[in-house]
Amino acid sequence: MTSLSAPLGRQKRARRFPVGLLLVAAPVILVVALVIYPILSSLSTTLNVDVAGAGRFSLANYARFFSDDQSLRNLRFTAWFTTTTVALLFLVCLPLALYLRFSFGRLPAFVQAIATFPLFVPGIIVAYALIRFIGPNGTLQSLLDAAGLHGYRTPYLTTWGPVIGLLWEGIPLTLLVLVSGLSQVPQAAIDAARDVGAGPLRILVFIILPLIRNSIIVALSLEFLRIFGAFTQPYLLGPASPESMGVYMQRTFGDLQDPVQAATQAMITFLCCSVAGVIYVRTIIANRRAGR
Amino acid sequence: MSAILRKMVHELPGALITLLLVGFIVLPIAGVFLWAFAEVWRYPSILPTQWGFRFWGMMLGRADVWEAFRTSLLLSVIVTGLSAIICLPAAYAFARLEFPGKSLLLLSFLTIQAFPKFGLYIAIATIFFSLGLVGTFTGVVVVQLVNTLLLMIWIPVGAFQNVDIRLEEAARDVGAGPIRTFVSVTLPQAGPAIAAALLLTFVGTFYETEGAFLIGAPNIRTMPVLMISLINNQIVVQYGAVLSVLLWVPSFIALLFARKILNARTIAGGVGA
Amino acid sequence: MRDQTRSTLDKLSIDHIVKRFGPSVAVDDVSLSIPTGELVCLLGPSGCGKSTVLRMVAGFEMPSAGRIAIDGEDVGTLPPNRRPTGMVFQGHALWSHMTVAQNIAFGLKLRHLPRATVNQKVAEVLELVGLKGFEHRHPGQLSGGQQQRVAIARCVVLEPKILLMDEPFSALDAHLRVRLREEVRTIQRRLGLTTVFVTHDQEEALTLADRIVVMNAGRIEQIGTPDSIYGRPGTRFVAGFIGTMNMIETRVQGGAARLGPIAIAVDAPEGPVTLAVRPEDFSLVEVGSAGSVAGVVERIIDLGAFRMADIRIDAGLVLKAQIGKGRRIAVGDTLALRPEHLILFGADGTARPAAIPIAA
Repeated sequence: MTSLSAPLGRQKRARRFPVGLLLVAAPVILVVALVIYPILSSLSTTLNVDVAGAGRFSLANYARFFSDDQSLRNLRFTAWFTTTTVALLFLVCLPLALYLRFSFGRLPAFVQAIATFPLFVPGIIVAYALIRFIGPNGTLQSLLDAAGLHGYRTPYLTTWGPVIGLLWEGIPLTLLVLVSGLSQVPQAAIDAARDVGAGPLRILVFIILPLIRNSIIVALSLEFLRIFGAFTQPYLLGPASPESMGVYMQRTFGDLQDPVQAATQAMITFLCCSVAGVIYVRTIIANRRAGR
Repeated sequence: MSAILRKMVHELPGALITLLLVGFIVLPIAGVFLWAFAEVWRYPSILPTQWGFRFWGMMLGRADVWEAFRTSLLLSVIVTGLSAIICLPAAYAFARLEFPGKSLLLLSFLTIQAFPKFGLYIAIATIFFSLGLVGTFTGVVVVQLVNTLLLMIWIPVGAFQNVDIRLEEAARDVGAGPIRTFVSVTLPQAGPAIAAALLLTFVGTFYETEGAFLIGAPNIRTMPVLMISLINNQIVVQYGAVLSVLLWVPSFIALLFARKILNARTIAGGVGA
Repeated sequence: MRDQTRSTLDKLSIDHIVKRFGPSVAVDDVSLSIPTGELVCLLGPSGCGKSTVLRMVAGFEMPSAGRIAIDGEDVGTLPPNRRPTGMVFQGHALWSHMTVAQNIAFGLKLRHLPRATVNQKVAEVLELVGLKGFEHRHPGQLSGGQQQRVAIARCVVLEPKILLMDEPFSALDAHLRVRLREEVRTIQRRLGLTTVFVTHDQEEALTLADRIVVMNAGRIEQIGTPDSIYGRPGTRFVAGFIGTMNMIETRVQGGAARLGPIAIAVDAPEGPVTLAVRPEDFSLVEVGSAGSVAGVVERIIDLGAFRMADIRIDAGLVLKAQIGKGRRIAVGDTLALRPEHLILFGADGTARPAAIPIAA
């Protein structure tokens, strides 16, 4: 019996192995074709200049970007609203997540439903809704007037416009990741800390935050990547100048018909995001190793 | 007396949070609904002064709306179908078969998220530019796959993994072949989550704005791209509102349905948290 | 009596505490006093309220009514971080992001002790629990028993006035449980720690405790030394919960209850009563002897040190009797049992005096 079944099992495994690889080939090829190849291709395009019909290595495209005031202003603006929005997201979502984790009943369920609601609203509708809400003579201004508060100055088309839109879009995912992290913090670990004499603030700083460190890193790095490359909200809610890198790239590609400079801008965007990207990938690998 | 006071203090944070969230999240969207049914709404009135369906008729009578709707619908159907054909067999392989480099390949799909999406679109667009795919329907279809790959791999992998392997073994034990087992046991068990993934892919593609705008405009106009031009040109406020309500309500119902199947952990897990 | 006179001297005194969760009453009027250095076990089935009592002493739950005092001082409104209690949790509850040393030092650092003192105390307590050299491990790198030792060290290092242990060993295997139990007893004696230990394991309670508090349905059934709890159960519940007990349902008629042919003089009103006899409290006598019941051996289980025999007295009654190894018995034998010690529970479930008769 055993002498028969053992080679049969091995034979089965040997037959299976190329099948699995074959089945995953299509999406893997797609990732290569739609992610890896375009990035490498753009990188090589932007690092070459055409001299007498032959390509030569040159940093000219990048030098052009970094010597251009408008480009630098756009990059700085993008960096500013990205860090600001990510910081705000953390400041808004952490208390929310703590509230959801440590209270019971119908109200928290309702709060979670509202907070995850933006997940189901397409970005374009968000932008439209916010224009009508925070824009000049919008609903918010009407409400404030009715409450006797005059002198409202709209953030629409200012540098704060994209921050508000991106914050609105970012709340659900950040919150869900933090809530999921908090749900893995055992109640006993918190009770034990209270028992040895830690107050709420110390428990938060020394117990809870270190324990959900990976969730925080995943949420914030992911939001950083999303916001740095954002297009819709800055395009519709932000000022004409400075522009976000997303809007700038689109205009360079579509209106100025300059794909090489647009690709250069994309590469610089990748460079700015590389730290967040590496942190994100490393953290998810660590999470998977830890078996979560 | 003090008990009531303590209860109030205890419930204060919750009430405050609810109030702020409603103000920031619900009110803007509620405003869109009001605008869609408002015929006259002038500042500083808090509510529309005249209600009606006039703008609905006008929107529904526009040819470009119907054209964009057809484009979006076709795009979503094709992209969802393609993603399913490409990704579902791979998801099954990731969940159930052994092959070299498995976990690395699976992880490689998550790394798509490590790139800012619009930068990636630009990199793709420069290649499409030389291939003549910019401004074509095919170009828009292909660029959408970047978004759908991760979703259509990740959720079904989880779904297949969640099917207890003993159920499959029991089916084999009573005499079912591998294909019969897959069709009668594995697929029905993993079905709801896969349906949710298909739904999310469909709706996500329907509303995807940035790739469609970059690659498709101005020849290919999907609904969101049409919406951008409505916002930019600011002709009549109500057009945008009517279009938003029209577009969003059905998908919202669909998404709520998907949310019942996909819980918070799945969504958080989808980004590797 | 003792509880009232000593209450001011007691380390911990619990006074008529009640805990309600919504409409259900988890703890119903529990009073308990524990003198310094005593180890008390709260014993009972799951859901009897024993853990809730412990969590109220620790401050994780607030009593709905009643008073809890430590060293005569009311701690009723203090949160857990301001109470002089230390708790060891079920399933260790170590902080997985900190090393063993950091886990133990955390509470000391909160008390702003100098670094040298902290290090010294950590080293001492690790020595005490036998984990010297494990300072820089993370909890995930320790075995279950080691984790629980760290949890104990984390508590003990803060020199709590009262050590609380909430089923600390229930997740461990039987051998380890016995060893840790002994270690806890040694540490507790050496440090003179007043300890409340919650368990559902009667063996654990009987071997560990100075006194046992048996709880059921939110109330205290009986308080006493392991000896008295086992030998003189005060209620029908305790008799059935602790050890093996023959529970014989019978009736009182004319001032006597009958066990087979035996008439037992009791001080109880007419009506149903329960007679309780431990298997080891039967002696084997000649068939027909005065004060004995006879029956046929149905089953014999060899438990190593002795044998347990099921003896059928009549259609409705089977008695378990412990039989020494020296005596040869076989299934089908007729044996006569004489109860040397028995307890009678009235219709209300409490013990009543009963006299073993001589005459049949």
